[in-house]
Amino acid sequence: MTRAATELPVPASEARRQLRYELISGLSGLGLAVFMWGHMLLVGSILTGAKGFDWLAGFLENYYIAQPTVVVISVLFIVHAVTASRKIPAKLEERRRMRDIAKALKRPAPHDVRDSDLAFQPHLESMLWIWQVRTGLVLLVLGSFHVLLLTVDVLTPMFGEIAGIESGSTLARVSGGLWLPYAVLLICVEFHASVGLYRLAVKWGVGSTLSRSALRRIEQVLFWAILGFGAVTLVVMAGWLDPPLAFLLDGAQ
Amino acid sequence: MGFLEERDLTDGRRLKFEIFRFNPEDSESAPHLDVFEIDEQPYMSLYIALNVIRETLDPSLMFDFACRSAICGSCGMLVNGRPALGCKTLTSALPETIRLHPLPVFKLVGDLSVDTGVWFREMVENTEAWIHAQQAFDPDGQEERMPDEVAQKIYESDRCIECGCCIAACGLANIEDGFLGAAGLNRICRFALDPRDSRDDSEWFEVVATERGVFGCIGLMACDDVCPKELPLLEHYAWLRRRALRAS
Repeated sequence: MTRAATELPVPASEARRQLRYELISGLSGLGLAVFMWGHMLLVGSILTGAKGFDWLAGFLENYYIAQPTVVVISVLFIVHAVTASRKIPAKLEERRRMRDIAKALKRPAPHDVRDSDLAFQPHLESMLWIWQVRTGLVLLVLGSFHVLLLTVDVLTPMFGEIAGIESGSTLARVSGGLWLPYAVLLICVEFHASVGLYRLAVKWGVGSTLSRSALRRIEQVLFWAILGFGAVTLVVMAGWLDPPLAFLLDGAQ
Repeated sequence: MGFLEERDLTDGRRLKFEIFRFNPEDSESAPHLDVFEIDEQPYMSLYIALNVIRETLDPSLMFDFACRSAICGSCGMLVNGRPALGCKTLTSALPETIRLHPLPVFKLVGDLSVDTGVWFREMVENTEAWIHAQQAFDPDGQEERMPDEVAQKIYESDRCIECGCCIAACGLANIEDGFLGAAGLNRICRFALDPRDSRDDSEWFEVVATERGVFGCIGLMACDDVCPKELPLLEHYAWLRRRALRAS
């Protein structure tokens, strides 16, 4: 029996390209999320006071860890924006249609739980996706600004006398008004990353023993934990709270 | 005894149905909603309710039903915006006002009736959803054995009744022609699992790993939430993605 050629007129090279896009967008997103969490921890060194923060920043710069990282992250940032955005519907009408479907998919409220708010929630994962697109656009603007600012900070001491990342200018900037865009950036980046990883896990069936609701719980824990940590960090940077962990370095010179 | 006892599930409700009406064959017809009111009965499904409406209020109402037991897949419709089977949806689980629309994406026959067959036939032809056997069938030979595990897995994706609910709920299928959707990917999965099918990974790769296949999906997961047969659609989807990765 002869085998019929497949009807889908898609050469393997096209299929391979789609796979490549998918891998690049997923892996770059994973890389950025992992970096972002590590970065939050490092920035959190401000909780131990200016001394701890400056020591860590100096360490990362003196050993040339910060400089290549800035370059790699900038590239990842652009690569992720290009590959991940390829699935956003181009026409406003199409995006409206998707939003309408998400809203219509809410469970019809059974008459005995008519008062339950849950019954009126739009479809969760569809709304999460729509918000991922929205936060992605915010990240493109605020993230670019942040990356550019820090690139200047980190790379300029290589050419002059300016002192790289240090607590003085950081605190002055944040308390001087940058706390607002940074607060928006923080919320958007935490949301975008945790939801992105949740969807990535479902897509590849990572830990297929975990149910969707279990993965969702992990996602929520990650979101709130890192958002909370980041919020405290930001409040300390804005000067509204004294570094709560300063006692750790009390004895240090 | 509970279940068999007559329970008043209805509070003596008067149900208000808002039903989409349009006959594409009739040039006079314009899309609109008609309102019908009927008394709720215990254990009333939409299948029963729509038959009451057709028998007592409007004999011209068009809708599809055959098996009334969630096997034939012909009574998919939007129930207050959410795709569901009419026969499997009890009015007791719904508010008093019930709005019914035909499933989107599919060709409209009239009112609530859609032709899912056109879409599914195209999908089946595109994915060649039949066993590609290497050897000619020998009617006298013994059937080839298949491990029970594999048979169970195949059955899990073969349970699809092609009602089209997953396609109607899919954001991408709604805006992009030719996207295979959960039903299409599930169908590919069914034959990719089958040891009798001789297509190898590289052949499957070209069908699966495209923008119309697994790598077009944006992961809204609505298909998994609305499937009336509760098929493990996301599991099959992730399995196909991993298989595509290996096959590349």
